[in-house]
Amino acid sequence: MPKRHFKIQGEPLLYSCYDDVVFIYIQFIMEDYKFLFKVVLVGNAGVGKTCLVRRFTQGLFPPGQGATIGVDFMIKTVEIDGEKVKLQIWDTAGQERFRSITQSYYRSAHALILVYDISCQPTFDCLPDWLREIEEYASNKVLRILVGNKMDREDREIPMHVGEDFAQRHDMYFLETSAKEAENVEKLFMEIAAELMEQARSKELPRYDTNSPTINGRTTSIGDSNCCSKLS
Amino acid sequence: MAIFRCCFETQLSDFFEPVVQKCTDPGCCCWCCSALRPRYKRLVDNIFPVNPQDGLIKNNMEKLTFYALSSPEKLDRIGEYLYQKAARDIYRRRNGLVVIAMEAMDQLLLACHAQTLNLFVESFLKMVQKLLESTEPQLQILATQSFVRFANIEEDTPSYHRRYDFFVSKFSAMCHSNHTNRDWCNQIRLAGIRGLQGVVRKTVSDDLVENIWEPVHMDKIMPSLLYNMQNARYPISQPGSPAPHGEEDRQDPPTLAESCMRELVGRASFGHIKSVLRPVLRHLDLHKLWVPNEFAIHAFKIIMFSIQSQYSYTVVETLMAHLDDNSTSSPEIRTSIADVLSKIIAIAAGESVGPSVLEIINSLLNHLRVSVSKLAKAEDSARHKHASKDDSTHEKLYQEALINALGEFANHLPDYQKIEIMMFIMSKVPHSEQDGDVLLQSMLLKSLLKVGTKYQTIQLNQAFPVNFLERLLRMSVGPNPDMRLLVNKIFHTLLDRHLNLEKLLKPTVDVDSLKLTVTKSSRLDAIFIRKHGGDIFLTLYESLELPSNTVENIEAAYTTTALICIELVCEESVCDLLRLIMSIQDLALTSSKLSLHQKYQLHAVVASLLALVPHCVPLSSLQTYADKIIATRIAKAPYLLPPLMRHYDSTTVPAGDVLLDQPQITSCLAEAGLDATQMARPHTGSLQHRHSWVDSGMGGSAAELNSMEVDSVSSSPGVVKKFPEEELTFESLKRILSPENVESRKEADEEKRLRLCETYRSASFTELVQHTQSKGDILNDKLNQLLKGLATKQTLRYLSERRDTERERERDDDRKSEADSEEERDHFDRHSPHSHSRSHSSDHLPPAPQPLYETLFPELFVY
Ligand SMILES: Nc1nc2c(ncn2[C@@H]2O[C@H](COP(=O)(O)OP(=O)(O)O)[C@@H](O)[C@H]2O)c(=O)[nH]1
Ligand SMILES: [Mg+2]
Repeated sequence: MPKRHFKIQGEPLLYSCYDDVVFIYIQFIMEDYKFLFKVVLVGNAGVGKTCLVRRFTQGLFPPGQGATIGVDFMIKTVEIDGEKVKLQIWDTAGQERFRSITQSYYRSAHALILVYDISCQPTFDCLPDWLREIEEYASNKVLRILVGNKMDREDREIPMHVGEDFAQRHDMYFLETSAKEAENVEKLFMEIAAELMEQARSKELPRYDTNSPTINGRTTSIGDSNCCSKLS
Repeated sequence: MAIFRCCFETQLSDFFEPVVQKCTDPGCCCWCCSALRPRYKRLVDNIFPVNPQDGLIKNNMEKLTFYALSSPEKLDRIGEYLYQKAARDIYRRRNGLVVIAMEAMDQLLLACHAQTLNLFVESFLKMVQKLLESTEPQLQILATQSFVRFANIEEDTPSYHRRYDFFVSKFSAMCHSNHTNRDWCNQIRLAGIRGLQGVVRKTVSDDLVENIWEPVHMDKIMPSLLYNMQNARYPISQPGSPAPHGEEDRQDPPTLAESCMRELVGRASFGHIKSVLRPVLRHLDLHKLWVPNEFAIHAFKIIMFSIQSQYSYTVVETLMAHLDDNSTSSPEIRTSIADVLSKIIAIAAGESVGPSVLEIINSLLNHLRVSVSKLAKAEDSARHKHASKDDSTHEKLYQEALINALGEFANHLPDYQKIEIMMFIMSKVPHSEQDGDVLLQSMLLKSLLKVGTKYQTIQLNQAFPVNFLERLLRMSVGPNPDMRLLVNKIFHTLLDRHLNLEKLLKPTVDVDSLKLTVTKSSRLDAIFIRKHGGDIFLTLYESLELPSNTVENIEAAYTTTALICIELVCEESVCDLLRLIMSIQDLALTSSKLSLHQKYQLHAVVASLLALVPHCVPLSSLQTYADKIIATRIAKAPYLLPPLMRHYDSTTVPAGDVLLDQPQITSCLAEAGLDATQMARPHTGSLQHRHSWVDSGMGGSAAELNSMEVDSVSSSPGVVKKFPEEELTFESLKRILSPENVESRKEADEEKRLRLCETYRSASFTELVQHTQSKGDILNDKLNQLLKGLATKQTLRYLSERRDTERERERDDDRKSEADSEEERDHFDRHSPHSHSRSHSSDHLPPAPQPLYETLFPELFVY
């Protein structure tokens, strides 16, 4: 009869060196990607964060979905220079009241996408507040990208150069997008993936946790499933 | 412009396997290659049906399980292979096959020995993660179930390398599901909560595995649980009762989230509490859940009831710190937080010991102090029309909430600590009488009262440590009537051992109908009243002298006296009480400061107290006498009876048989076999100076008398006078002062008082001052004359004798109190009867030499 345990607590046993070696090996062969990056989207409610993520991960522009509550999660594996890169995308709620939970996701982010709505001045005016939040809760090495979304809209309030200036002043990448028209969305994420990979290769990438062991010290090429990625 | 690219499966198992697969459809491909495939792969392939609807092929699963058990070294590869298959199926949305793969994983997990599990678990978790990454609710839920199953297994060798970040992040996100289908939404949230519970169970016992208590996790877990809890109509149900078993089967997120929270908090050790509470407070802040605070109370009760009790104090501390952080928030928010505090503080009280108790009290008092000064400022600016009245109302509510918290806390402490707390609070009461201080004083006294009401007095000497009693007494004659009222209320609650307080709130002469509970006072009570009775009665008298007294003040003083009568007075001390009652009547008759209304009120108090005394000490003739007085008053002067009124129409100055007559009372005492001569003796030194019959009808103040005493001693230092011991009785002294005999005196008094009243009504203030001064002068002259005639050579001899007898008496007292506590004896040793009966007044007077006639007429001071 197999030995089963349903007790919750127990004394930890010593973990042998042998097991450790075996584990690392197994971890390697099981990954179906070489890089794992965590991307977090922030910005006022309604600027189109969720739409951007949906457009990128599912290729669609969702009709009238409710406002995001707390955090939403999506995954997408892309290929850059022949390497599999898995992007974990955390889409946060813009509302103030969810700030406590959303901030806790900043910490482990490799990239932070700060989104505003080019047709809505207040969403742009809030950017300094968001930067302060990022400053406080995210790693200082985090890759920061400013995105002016809804570029398809006619009633623009923020000229592109204003956004650009802001980004430059705060040492951020800048891009205008349209989730609706699928404009620059792929580009946004692919460039993030490429940049992060670049950083990882030059070992600049902060090691937040060991959940992405494949980033470091892999030489063997990884076996993967016959998974297909859509590339731009 | 999007292109699709196929990535062919290239196995690292190049090392292990000679075959490189180019497989797009495992269904066919694997079949054709099966001969070349290793046995474990074939076994795995065989568990999958051709048609996914048919489900796992049970026979083949058994074969796979048997194989895994007999060749555990293959387990890791089986896991890996199953995972690869599932990953493919997920991508192709063949969910039926994914479900089967997961089921197989589950079965293997449960079947295999713990020792070999480690290798398998990694692919198992990869699989779970893969499913969680899918956008399909169904797969996410399935994955969670598997994860929970895994979480319930205790691994022999925990994997220190394993990280649960992703799971915490993902499960937390699931807890916030916003799925458009309500049912899915609910299910995903439930799965999220279960998942979190699983992670907690898996990691909580061993920080090395994954420190789940890190803020990075707690900041996700706690808000996720709270978010689900707050959406319920949280029940009124006792949060103290443990959650019923089988709660996992319950289908609503709030209940599940709650039980998960209990489990989590229950496992928190001291170092973790901060990181558990911080996100809770932030969540409540951000979701604006303080006002109204039902949910905050609910959440904090859950925390208090599940936290290991030795840490419950930390929760209180943290909440208190949050109050600090909110010092600039609106008073409503602070009130709500303080209210939450008051709701949970009791739970902590049972566990708090030593310094932490006073720390909590001190912190509450500090908040109170800050609020008081804030209120003072607010009212100041309100006066200048800057701020709304609203603000200060809310600030006051906040103060009430703080005091409630204090009371709740004290309520659950053992009684000895309540005393400590009361003394502690008392030590914080400012002495000065400035405006700001008065507010603080009253707040602190209210706190003190709150604690006092929770205290169950057994021994009065324990309830009133000397310092505490002295401070209370001093404050009971302070300048502010509201404060005096509070002090009296403190006395009430501490004195009232037999739950008579409610019945005695208002003076009444119908004592029978009150159904008072009276028990014979104990030996210790007698000692207490002997030690402190003088001070207490004197202070009560002094408090009634104050012209600023409201009806409430006078009633409160009555209640205090009545409670003392019931709780403490015995045959031995009844004389003192009757003396006080007579003094009050004299005050009502002679005071130049009190209004006519106040005087009537005092008469009513006198009648009520007189009626009460025979109920406490068996004095049947006094009962008769009291009945007679009351009957007379009913007939002739109902305004001299309770209830106390703010305004009286009558202007009659009472006289004659409506008044209490001292000789008659004396004879009542004598009839009961009590030492009637005692009645003729003042019951304390200080009261005697000022308020015995001696000075009835005269307006001289204590200060004058005292200075006179000092003068008379110093002016005749060497003069040794004859002491006519046998002649000098109290009566003789009285005769000297008021030449008329008692009967005629009464009539004369009446006339005099009528005249006085008339004068007081018509005369100017300066005239009055002159009038009273001249009276004082007459007394001074008379006393001087008397004393000069009295002092003799014998004085010195007498003094030394007296000291001896005094010492003897002390020794006697000591013997009597042998049964008492050490502390009790201490007090006896430190305070000779005289010194402590005078300690009250000596606070504002320089230590004067013993008053001359105290030394001359020692029998007047028999204690
Ligand atoms: N015109 C236009 N509307 C957009 C675009 N992206 C989002 N929206 C709309 O903006 C609203 C809010 O989008 P949502 O993704 O929920 O914003 P979030 O709160 O930042 O996640 C929705 O009504 C979307 O249809 C865009 O690129 N162009
Ligand atoms: Mg959104």
